[in-house]
Amino acid sequence: MIRYENVGVQFGDFTAIPDLSLEVAKGEFFTLLGPSGCGKTTALRTLAGFVTPTRGDVYVDNKRVTHLPSDKRQVGMVFQNYALFPSMNVWENIAFGLKLRKHNRSERQKLVADVARRVDLTEEQLEKNPAELSGGQQQRVAIARALVLQPKILLLDEPLSNLDAKLRHQLRAQLKELQSEFGITTVYVTHDQDEALTMSDRIAVFNRGRVEQVGAPREIYDSSATEFVCTFIGAATSLSAELTPVLGLRPGLSSYLRLEKALLETEGSPLPVGYARFTGTVLAQAYHGTHTIYTVEVLGTELKILQREDGAARPEPGQTVEVGIHPRHVLSYAISDDHGQDAAAHAVRTTSAGA
Amino acid sequence: MKSTVKQMLKSPFAVVSLLILSWFVVALLLWPNINLLFETFFPAGEFSGRAVERILSSERAMRSLWNSLLLALALAVSTNVVGVFIVLVTKYFHIRGSRILWLGYATTLVYGGIVVAAAYRFIYGSDGIVTEALLQILPGMDPDWFQGFFAVLVVMTFATTTNHLLFLSSAIAKVDQQTIEAAKNMGAGDWTILRRVVLPTVKPMIFAITILSFLTGLGALSAPIVLGGRDFQTIAPMILSFASSPHSRDLAALMALVLGMATIAVLVFLTRMEAGGTYFSLSKVATPLDKQRISNPVANLAVHAGAYALFLIYIAPPVLIVLYSFVDSYSIETNAFAVANMSWENYQRVLTQPNALRPFLVSITYSALASAIVGVGLLVVVRILVKYRNGVSTTFEYLLHVPWLLPGAMIALGLILSFDTSSPLLFNNALSGTPVILLVAYVIIKIPFTLRLMKAAFASINHSLEEAAVLMGAGNWTIFRRILLPAVLPVAAAVFGLNFISLVDDYDTTVFLAHPLYQPLGPVIHQNTQSTTDLNARANTFVYTVLIMVISTAVMWLVYGRTTTQRRRRPRGQREAPSGSEHVPSVARLVHQPVPGAQATGYAPAAAAAPAGAEPRS
Repeated sequence: MIRYENVGVQFGDFTAIPDLSLEVAKGEFFTLLGPSGCGKTTALRTLAGFVTPTRGDVYVDNKRVTHLPSDKRQVGMVFQNYALFPSMNVWENIAFGLKLRKHNRSERQKLVADVARRVDLTEEQLEKNPAELSGGQQQRVAIARALVLQPKILLLDEPLSNLDAKLRHQLRAQLKELQSEFGITTVYVTHDQDEALTMSDRIAVFNRGRVEQVGAPREIYDSSATEFVCTFIGAATSLSAELTPVLGLRPGLSSYLRLEKALLETEGSPLPVGYARFTGTVLAQAYHGTHTIYTVEVLGTELKILQREDGAARPEPGQTVEVGIHPRHVLSYAISDDHGQDAAAHAVRTTSAGA
Repeated sequence: MKSTVKQMLKSPFAVVSLLILSWFVVALLLWPNINLLFETFFPAGEFSGRAVERILSSERAMRSLWNSLLLALALAVSTNVVGVFIVLVTKYFHIRGSRILWLGYATTLVYGGIVVAAAYRFIYGSDGIVTEALLQILPGMDPDWFQGFFAVLVVMTFATTTNHLLFLSSAIAKVDQQTIEAAKNMGAGDWTILRRVVLPTVKPMIFAITILSFLTGLGALSAPIVLGGRDFQTIAPMILSFASSPHSRDLAALMALVLGMATIAVLVFLTRMEAGGTYFSLSKVATPLDKQRISNPVANLAVHAGAYALFLIYIAPPVLIVLYSFVDSYSIETNAFAVANMSWENYQRVLTQPNALRPFLVSITYSALASAIVGVGLLVVVRILVKYRNGVSTTFEYLLHVPWLLPGAMIALGLILSFDTSSPLLFNNALSGTPVILLVAYVIIKIPFTLRLMKAAFASINHSLEEAAVLMGAGNWTIFRRILLPAVLPVAAAVFGLNFISLVDDYDTTVFLAHPLYQPLGPVIHQNTQSTTDLNARANTFVYTVLIMVISTAVMWLVYGRTTTQRRRRPRGQREAPSGSEHVPSVARLVHQPVPGAQATGYAPAAAAAPAGAEPRS
């Protein structure tokens, strides 16, 4: 459906995207995920026709669209701030594109009414000024405005970043629902890994203009292809060089363990098959309501362990505990200078932020 | 933060300040204007409609009313046509050399009012540089071609596009790039985007500027006086001429009242219209506007051509005046410009000969004094008004806005008529005929503008700073001196500068009030456009003009320039980077930010409200 072929984007001296190749299938909810300035928005804007690549091509439905103007590509876009025209009311906003395509008044009435019903906008809301609507309603207007032109592809540029946390969670579900209802191929840009994991069919993780990994959410999380992906998605503890040989792992790699993968047991209790047993001391605990994150010292590693708060007895700081680690859960990467630094920075950030 | 009047009266400092303020408001803001009403309708203690009858029967007066209306309407249209165009070519469209173009269009920011009118007269007037050159080619043409309605309209159009340059530019710059991209994505072309998306978004600002221009046209003084000729005189020049004779003072007062009423009516209309018309920006994360390329090559060429043609019209007067300021008076008289004749002689004469230097010194002294008094006074007053929010402080705030509503001619006339004999309100002193009256008028007309910016400056201070200082045991005076003053000082300094440059060549108020022995630049420049008694009059005027332009440019650059040059854009791909907070309170931000409603009411016919460059000077 969508194909980037060796796309490179340069802004003056700054290389936003060195060489990007990527494919998105029909009907997919595809997410471009990465930190600020990683090139994900540039990739989206290249597809939308707002950025012309310095080299390479973009295809939609096997048709080369690299140099087509934005409106000839059959893509609809929902902008980060929705970009609703403040001088028009909601109805006029949605009908604007139809008018430009010379649909007559009765067609416009019908198409706008149709799409408004599907995104749950009432007659009354259609008469309002966009500024009078809530963030969530504005988002639905933006989506309706894009969908009313019946594009093949819907592009969403961080549409939730503008909203407060609670609304963001609500709209995530709503957005996903709308997408599956319309069945439209969707490319979604976000820096929020949680959003990416919960909404996407597939994710491409971007770093410095390059794609580090493309895969389903589970794949990205459980089998992170690179150290960057591992540390950017979710939280993980970096394992010390003392600990990894005991687990039977090859030395000289940087190894990580996700917080929920380690087991925390009281002394003497049995561990499931395959787990290696360690003795450690609880250094600290951070209580989160649904769960607690313990910091346990094991062979020079300050291991973070997530424990569900299910009512069982809990160790206190200073107490000696038993820790179970399955070698299969450990994610290992060859050490490269370039990535090492980057990853270390992320490891610090993600682990200190908790789960 | 609400506080009661009782709390306010506990502070002796506040009480003393408010007492002085009350006296000032009653004696100098309110009484002169109310007295004007009495003088007009109750000249001998009982009602008389004689002034009305006399006006109605005076053909000159009636014609001037009609001319003012005509000028106001025409100016509202012409200044928008030119102003919107120059803003689009400098800020919206991708035009080659747009920075140079902007500099050319911005020349009217640094010289205005009487100076601009005089400059055009020197260039295009009957013995002007361009006219004489044209006469060589077309001997039959009318040497007075640049006179009357057309000339006044042209000069005022170019002088008032400063409003567009300052306010519309900043409004256009705030249009969200994403809305333009959204429209493109839906298939809108250049023209559709401009007409349906961009211009509607800035419509409230255009509306406000239109009203400003209308009022500027209505109250025009210097342009009609210098360029109107006998056939095109408007209300303000008529007031001036009636005021000069004791027999027709009541007529002057009545016409000033008419002008004042018209102004208030227009402002009320504006406020009504604006109530439902402001577009709040929807986005918290607007993307900066990218310049738009004009895709049609013919249209592109035409817009380029138009932009550069206007550029030439804008820069011709200042460039010629700078050049001619360096040649001797004889060459000026005969329009024989030659590089070989250029010297610093004129500058030397103006800066050393007491006669020539005097008006310049008088202007500088008056402007500096008035700007300092209004600045320091309002620093104290605004602090009190912001600290104690209650009915009394709100009333004071409204009263201090009175000069906004009234034309300069009316304020001036009110002062003359009310204080021509010793008055108990002034502790048995008279003002008329003293050098002090002009200083008082300068202070009055600068109050609203200063008040607004100082208030914005105080309001932008993080309130927690003061609370933190209180917790640490700081007293009122310490808080003011160590925390508030340093925070508002940059704005205060900028306001001082802007007030200074707008007063230094003031004409509209000055001409009514200036003491014969202490004539500032405005009236002197005007005289120099008329008389030919002094051979050096023209050369002196050119030097004054250049000096004013230099001072204005320096102040403008200090106030606006540095912040605008820092606004370099990040490459497009990097826009995800967290935007640095740019919450530096600077006057440029404050001046550029007025929402249309506030900004429009922030207008003063007496050139008191809008930032100096944007002032209706004509």
